[in-house]
Amino acid sequence: MSISMFQCVLIGLWTAFCLAGMLFGIYTNRCLVMATGVGLILGDLPTGLAMGAVGELAFMGFGVSQGGSVPPNPMGPGIVGTIIAITMKDSGLDVGSALALSFPFAVAFQFVITATYTFATTLTSVAYKALDKKDFRTFRLAANLTVCIFALVGFVIGFGGAFSSDGLQKVISLIPAWLSTGLDVAGKMLPAIGFAMILNVMAKKELIPFVLLGYIAIAYLKLPTMGVAVLGTAVALIVFFNAGKRSGGNVEEVEVEFEDGI
Amino acid sequence: MASNQLTKSDYLKTGLRAHFLQNGFNYGNYQGLGYANMLYPALRKMYRDDDDKLQEALKENVEFFNTNLHFSPFITSLHLVMLENGTPTSEIRNIKMALMGPLAGIGDSLVQFCLAPLLSTIGASLAMDGMMMGPILFFLGMNLTLLAVKLLTASFGYKLGTSIVATLSEKMEQISNVASMIGVTVISGLAVNFVKISTPLKYVASMPDNQEKVVAIQEMIDAIAPRLLPVLFTGLMYYLIKVKKWTTYKLVILTVVAGILLSSLHLIG
Repeated sequence: MSISMFQCVLIGLWTAFCLAGMLFGIYTNRCLVMATGVGLILGDLPTGLAMGAVGELAFMGFGVSQGGSVPPNPMGPGIVGTIIAITMKDSGLDVGSALALSFPFAVAFQFVITATYTFATTLTSVAYKALDKKDFRTFRLAANLTVCIFALVGFVIGFGGAFSSDGLQKVISLIPAWLSTGLDVAGKMLPAIGFAMILNVMAKKELIPFVLLGYIAIAYLKLPTMGVAVLGTAVALIVFFNAGKRSGGNVEEVEVEFEDGI
Repeated sequence: MASNQLTKSDYLKTGLRAHFLQNGFNYGNYQGLGYANMLYPALRKMYRDDDDKLQEALKENVEFFNTNLHFSPFITSLHLVMLENGTPTSEIRNIKMALMGPLAGIGDSLVQFCLAPLLSTIGASLAMDGMMMGPILFFLGMNLTLLAVKLLTASFGYKLGTSIVATLSEKMEQISNVASMIGVTVISGLAVNFVKISTPLKYVASMPDNQEKVVAIQEMIDAIAPRLLPVLFTGLMYYLIKVKKWTTYKLVILTVVAGILLSSLHLIG
């Protein structure tokens, strides 16, 4: 199928909104949300939902931006991957392959975002200069400019991806079977990177028991995710209360704060 | 003339401006610009007729800042209360800097490593069954919870005032530790669940009674430890990141090449 100009613009606007939402912290920059929107715009919600689900699970580990490094961006599968999946559905391309094919885009978008953050460093000096002159308007503009650039970048990516979908289809149809099988296999291995990145941020020696606990809960006990969280909470609280006893600390007060935090 | 005194609603509004905390995000001072911008309307009100003081206050707060967005209202509320009570700015700065690390720890553990993966798994599994409820549940679930977190932390910081800040840092660390434990459990479980590697390798074993039996290597592995291959591969990635300091794109290239190569050789797939 081909995409009309109107749809291209809509996808551009949707991508702009979703990418800006990454800075607002409203969780629109997730595969599940983006793919659903693209599915609605292109009139193929079932494929959008399927792609969103597959991409969301694969990119869950990448949902973290830790100091300095930017993870592969879910716009890859969420926008470009979904466009591929919907336009090439008739030629027998499944969502798994679309996910693997969209990975290079996810990594490329990562660089665009890193470049934006780097470029935005100049905003600080703009802001300082504006404050020296008591020019509060320019200060506020500088403080909001990264998000404006993000919206622009998002629009270009969404519109460009939709607009060039014919070319994409031609390139993809040239891919031999062994390569697409390989990409499919690789796609299922890729989440390992995201999870390893998170564990790298969080892991301390003292947390090894909890890594094992998570493994046991899934591999042996086959608990649902919610069950794993409750189990983790139970053990974490046991550890916490025992530590509190030893130091004779004020356990009650802390407990109340913890509930507030959730 | 209107009052320069901040009201409770000013505190909550400042808290909701956490949405703009990253609007000026950059690699120079991270959320620094955003922090000053978040405080802007409140500071403007406090220094209604005094551009000099507003200029000074904003300049002081453009400096480096980085914490969890959803928990940041706690710091801004505390900041404003102390400012209104005439606490010296150097002291406020100390508290601001002391709190941003622990709050980032708690926030990331609870939101990014716990709440988001949970709702995302549930939402994705509903979407997998073709239900529009999946993405809607994820989006609304995340945002309603995080809105509540912002409002709660904003009013908590306001109530707390300056009274127990000294003991706060230590408690923050304890809460952060508990949150990390839960987060690590969930993330490890999810890693085991979503990284999928298996081998189609089989070999033919001769049995004592001259019968032949086909043995699947995967079954043997499962008998030793289920999902061993995904665990080993995730472990390898962890090693490459932690010890070898590999970047994400090197890891992606390695994984894609390994996937294509090993599946072409029918070793995995």
